[in-house]
Amino acid sequence: MRRATAEGLRVSIEREGGDVVISTSRLTRLLEHEPGDLTCIVEAGMRLSELQERLGRHDQALMLDPPGDPTIGACLAAGLSGPRRHRYGAVRDLVLGVTIVLGDGTVAHSGGRVVKNVAGYDLGKLFCGSRGRLGLIAAVALRLHPRPAAARSLSVATADAGEAQQLVQRALRSQLVPSAVDLLWPGRLLLLFEGGERAAAAQLQTAQALLAGREEDAGAWDELAERQAAARGRVWFDPGRLAEFLAETPEAVVRVAAGNAYVPNPVEHIWPPLAERVRAEFDPGGVLVA
Amino acid sequence: MGLDRVLHELEGALRPEQLIREPAELRTYECDGLTAHRVVPGLVVLAESTADVQAAVRACNVESVSFVARGAGTGLSGGAVPVADGIVISLTRMKRVLEVDIDAQRVTVQPGVTNLEVTAAVAAEGLYYAPDPSSQQVCTIGGNVAENAGGAHCLKYGFTANHVTGLKMVLPDGELAELGGKALDPDGPDLLGVLVGSEGTLGIATEITVRVIRRPEVVTTLLAAFDSTDAAGEAVSAIIAQGILPSAIEMMDRLMVEAVEQAVHAGYPQAGALLLVDLDGPAIQVEDDVVAVEEICRANGASELRSARSDAERALFWKGRKAAFAAMGRISPSYYVQDGVVPRTKLPAVLRRIRELEHEHGLRVGNVFHAGDGNLHPLVLYDDAVPGQAEQAQHMAKKILEACVDAGGSLTGEHGIGLDKACEMPLLFSEADLATMQRLRRSIDPKGLSNPGKVFPTPRLCGEVPGPYRMHPLEKAGLAQRF
Repeated sequence: MRRATAEGLRVSIEREGGDVVISTSRLTRLLEHEPGDLTCIVEAGMRLSELQERLGRHDQALMLDPPGDPTIGACLAAGLSGPRRHRYGAVRDLVLGVTIVLGDGTVAHSGGRVVKNVAGYDLGKLFCGSRGRLGLIAAVALRLHPRPAAARSLSVATADAGEAQQLVQRALRSQLVPSAVDLLWPGRLLLLFEGGERAAAAQLQTAQALLAGREEDAGAWDELAERQAAARGRVWFDPGRLAEFLAETPEAVVRVAAGNAYVPNPVEHIWPPLAERVRAEFDPGGVLVA
Repeated sequence: MGLDRVLHELEGALRPEQLIREPAELRTYECDGLTAHRVVPGLVVLAESTADVQAAVRACNVESVSFVARGAGTGLSGGAVPVADGIVISLTRMKRVLEVDIDAQRVTVQPGVTNLEVTAAVAAEGLYYAPDPSSQQVCTIGGNVAENAGGAHCLKYGFTANHVTGLKMVLPDGELAELGGKALDPDGPDLLGVLVGSEGTLGIATEITVRVIRRPEVVTTLLAAFDSTDAAGEAVSAIIAQGILPSAIEMMDRLMVEAVEQAVHAGYPQAGALLLVDLDGPAIQVEDDVVAVEEICRANGASELRSARSDAERALFWKGRKAAFAAMGRISPSYYVQDGVVPRTKLPAVLRRIRELEHEHGLRVGNVFHAGDGNLHPLVLYDDAVPGQAEQAQHMAKKILEACVDAGGSLTGEHGIGLDKACEMPLLFSEADLATMQRLRRSIDPKGLSNPGKVFPTPRLCGEVPGPYRMHPLEKAGLAQRF
């Protein structure tokens, strides 16, 4: 970064576009894993699948399940998430701290390795969704969860917007605690219940009594992941007005409680003016390719 | 002078009774929960709308006068301490709940609404607002946003930042920024996430949208007595390692338990350490969790185990814990509360260090902490009638903080940096780290008018090097009980 700044070159991170392309493919170490604290620190180039495998040896997991096998850095930079976002939050809810490198070569840390921390600005959150334009994410401290012992899934067929909204409201107002509630629109509502064996089975039973539908295996989620991966655009809607949104949306993977959905066609998004002001201060030299 | 022109400008925009300039009245705004630091502001503006806030901030911007936003003033790090020759913008009159959307599970409020009022707005529907700082009866959502407030249940449910989905923010130049809304995960850098917890240094929130969640089907509380904090700490680690996530885990040491029993007679057993564990969720999951937690406690030497069988019993178990601070006030004329965080696995080592410090300084420390997330509140007991003891206590409090940072923890888990710990930031962050954070501040507050002198060390505040810990006797009466 320092050289690029000095020589007036432009830098792109993990993709084409700059005079210099920086890859994190060699930043792949798991620097720290404290099972007793449910935290880990990982370099940004590690693939999600590899991290999950390492954490799985201690029956722990990062509750982030975007499709494909992105690097941790990509998960942050692109704000990637999957079905478990419903219960565990997006990547920004799981980041405890970051090490970043700015366009002029400055290396900085924010946050820490502890779950509870309100010291200073949470730059880790700021870098979530920043798409390489504020700086490079080099390492991330993450909050982990125990890996659930069991998982059961339910699907409820629906192709009617009003019916879909009713089903979702019934589920969300009940005492069910699903890890995921997604609508493969049009077609079916999918719910995931995780926990102890007994508890997951009980949740499934309760859900079936409440919503009808039939039990599914993990394959249903694979199909959803493929549809989400194939989607080229993201849109947002008021989660209380699902039916209205569905009525004008021919096809989508819908994260119903979060109010966002993945649609086939690309949708352009520009950063709000405040974000541009921040970017100008983080990269005054315009080193990082937009 | 700048302040006079600000006043003149605002006399045109606001009603006379929204402007406070009588010295006696101004003094009621001179400090927050950290009562040692007092600065009388030049003017207090009682804002009643976003437009009022904008008018005040714009006037300050034109005249380069500083402003400090203030909610209920219950903060414990001096974040709302005014700046001399600056103004205070009070948000307490902006206390309307603007919208309750049950289907979307969102509530939109003005910043002066109290934390508990948000829950009250949705309680009839079986929903609640999860972040529960102990001052929740009086503290405001605006303040919660500034501090990224947590509470006893944040281990499982997260902090304010995990619950705010939208903000209308008056930026330090007076412009209004609208971020987020009811939908989650907007595109672009997470500005919402970085504004929450920015301690009033990046502007003033005037409308806040939060998500509310379902009350769990079942909540139960377990009480376990151990011979030592080490044993209790082992039990906590084992509970977490087994994959159980209690909604709260609180620990009190021997001194604390004794004080509490004297004060409120909650019926606590004698113990070297007492654990309170809250488990919530679907009935069957909780049943299984209770069995598992009891087994773990026994395996780690619990001398006594009790399980609350009713809401009344639950309240009784918690009564002692909630009375902890007040109880210490009975066995010691004065005490300092420290707020530090350590990785859970390092708790035993830090507690040993605190015992060492007790011997070194001859002062006792009562410990109460959110054991699940490693957030400690050591209470350093002293007698301010004895010359030098107050200084000893504050010195000890600082050493405890250093021990937390050395163990890989943080300067603050809940109370914020504010004025109180700004000079200690270099313990945690390098110059490059702080300079990078300052880039954010510069981009949003280039003139440095929004709550200046807070969070970041300055030569004026700290001297050329991080200075000795400053006086902060704890207000005992307070506006609410404190954890």
